[in-house]
Amino acid sequence: MKRAAKVINVRDQAEKESSFAKDVLGPLVGMGLTINRMVDNLTGKVNATIRYPEERRAYSGRLRGAHILTAREDGSPRCVACYMCATACPADCIYIEPAEHPDPLIEKYPARFDIDMLRCVFCGFCVDACPEEAIIMSRETELGAYTRAETMWDIKRLMSRPELPEFGLGYRPNEKLVDSTIKFVPKNKEKKRLAGRVTLKEDVEMIAHVTFDPTKD
Amino acid sequence: MPKFTLNGQEVEAKAGQTIIQAAGDHGIEIPHYCYHPDLPIDGNCRMCLVDVEKMPKLTPACTTIVNEGMVVRSDNPRVKEAVRGVLEFLLINHPVDCPVCDQAGECRLQDYYMVYGLHTSEIPLGMKVRKRKVIDLGPMVVLDQERCVLCSRCIRFFDNVTGTGEMQFFGRGDHVAIGTFEDRPLDNPYSGNVVDICPVGALTSRDFRFKCRVWFLHATNSICAGCSTGCATRIDHRDGAIFRMIARRNPEVNRSWLCDEGRLSFHELTRSERVIQPSIKGSDGVQTPITWEDALQSVDQRLKQIRDANGGSSILGFGSPSATNEGLFLFKRYLTEQLGATQFEFRIDSEDKKVLDEEDQILRHFDKHPNSMGAIKLGLISDDLDGIDGAIRAARDGRIKAAVIIYFNPLVRRPSDDEAEGRIIELIDELKYSVVLAAHKADWHASADVVLPVTAWSEEEGTYTNFEGRVQFAAKAIESAGDALPIWEVFAMLIHASGAESRWMSAENVFATMTERSQPYSRITFEQTQLPGVVLASS
Repeated sequence: MKRAAKVINVRDQAEKESSFAKDVLGPLVGMGLTINRMVDNLTGKVNATIRYPEERRAYSGRLRGAHILTAREDGSPRCVACYMCATACPADCIYIEPAEHPDPLIEKYPARFDIDMLRCVFCGFCVDACPEEAIIMSRETELGAYTRAETMWDIKRLMSRPELPEFGLGYRPNEKLVDSTIKFVPKNKEKKRLAGRVTLKEDVEMIAHVTFDPTKD
Repeated sequence: MPKFTLNGQEVEAKAGQTIIQAAGDHGIEIPHYCYHPDLPIDGNCRMCLVDVEKMPKLTPACTTIVNEGMVVRSDNPRVKEAVRGVLEFLLINHPVDCPVCDQAGECRLQDYYMVYGLHTSEIPLGMKVRKRKVIDLGPMVVLDQERCVLCSRCIRFFDNVTGTGEMQFFGRGDHVAIGTFEDRPLDNPYSGNVVDICPVGALTSRDFRFKCRVWFLHATNSICAGCSTGCATRIDHRDGAIFRMIARRNPEVNRSWLCDEGRLSFHELTRSERVIQPSIKGSDGVQTPITWEDALQSVDQRLKQIRDANGGSSILGFGSPSATNEGLFLFKRYLTEQLGATQFEFRIDSEDKKVLDEEDQILRHFDKHPNSMGAIKLGLISDDLDGIDGAIRAARDGRIKAAVIIYFNPLVRRPSDDEAEGRIIELIDELKYSVVLAAHKADWHASADVVLPVTAWSEEEGTYTNFEGRVQFAAKAIESAGDALPIWEVFAMLIHASGAESRWMSAENVFATMTERSQPYSRITFEQTQLPGVVLASS
């Protein structure tokens, strides 16, 4: 059975419902909101513009920035060179060269582990594919470099991340496990006040720990 | 020929076949670990349980011989439940170290778990029985006892195929492990086969260890060029590099086996530098690079000058028993039809006698060339010269002025090979004009007048004739180095350069011409050279 669509004539309706409150007070209320905003902005209560790079937005805890290779307790890489990340990588930016580990319980470790940061699309598939929680992401997004060679990050660079205190950890599925192994002192106190109207559901906090440097043994 | 019903379908089995074999013939794979077509039946893994009507319990398909009127089901819930249970038992103490295991990707445990298992393990990792890992078993094999499912394929291989019996079960209960006595290394020449037949990651290859994950590799069917047996192999390669060679089953030649020398023979291809472009010796006696067109023009002109001055019999065609049939055929055709050459030879070390000499009772032959029989069948043999010694004598006497020489480094080297190269230098030194077709650089190329780069085994497709006259096709796996061309293409271009018709576009075209023109190859077709190959009628 067909049902006839109900037709609403907006103009008729507007004319019918025209009143003082609607015609005069309505715009005033709107104007009030705008003026409130303006006052907030002028007094610095809310500011859409931030003074980057001195000021930064607080990024999500799951932001996918430059990678980190995590370490075992003795400082050697957790990575077992299984190639899962290289297999999952849609940008084909991970190059691994495995080698024999003296401990038969570990058996395999990466002699080389290079990520081409120019090719990487920061999709995080490598992190999802990793069976050992050996590769996670930081919140570092500032990866500018003067030469191409600098954008080729080798295993040493991926493991000892001097930038970590500044940016903090990013996407990592198994946070409990990873956070117990990565320790660093956050350099800047994270700004809790969020700029503009950006809202974050979770409270962004840094974990204060010892500096993470596997090259020091 | 008993008829039986398999999963509701009436099928026929060969007399004496077991259910698993008959099912395999009809394209139904019954899961199994211990069963192997070329090993005696053991029936210990219990993965191949099937439901046979009127039998009270499930029965293993690998040990049950098909009888007339049997009604077999391999797909009902009862069987699936049983197989799932067996798999769960097999995985109880499995270490689940797939990330570091080289078998991952071609592991039967992984495959069957995805099809039949998908269960959650009741045993936490910490409670599993630990065994020894990374045990060095000689130059070919690494043993990991934890990953083993105790199928005993390796034990049966050493007991029944090589007869050396190195491996055995040790221990009792869930502590049973495979191993060799006192971890002694496996030093028999076929030990690499246990890596192929191991259905899980217990026995992995020392040579291939950690080189590449298997899912990155591309497979190409080939024929081993290590000796005159002509074993069927599969070349696994990636980005133009060969990573490993494993046996392919050919029941007529090598069954499922491959010797260790053959398995590792591909390393020889990258061991020395390649010839990458044609070069010609100038008036100053130095080899300088030249384009293919100019090189072939020059070769054709010089050879024709020598023929006009001294007659066709002064030109020697010295073939190689490592070249394909197609290459040797066009090589001979160019020299006979365009230059009227009558002298052909390929023997450096009496390959024609060694070609049938067995090195052992399993696979290997003493002749380390894949196509000696092909060279004999194509008539690259002269009773007059009787090998390279006769050719050197004839060159010294002035009966031979020029030669076209094909030389490949043998993929399985023997100490006598250095001597063989010495004989070729002697021959070149006696000649007025020499053309060498080679894949790898050698010091002696300096004395040749022209050096032409050709593709080596695995870089070209073609057929090889093994010791018994079986013609088998080997496909092209990787690209060749530099400007190298297959031998048949070089001679097709030379025939064109000398003004005759040359229409061969592929090895298959050349093969078709060969079956028309060469009597020993007259009754076979190209399709027949695929597995298991075709044996030439003895003349």
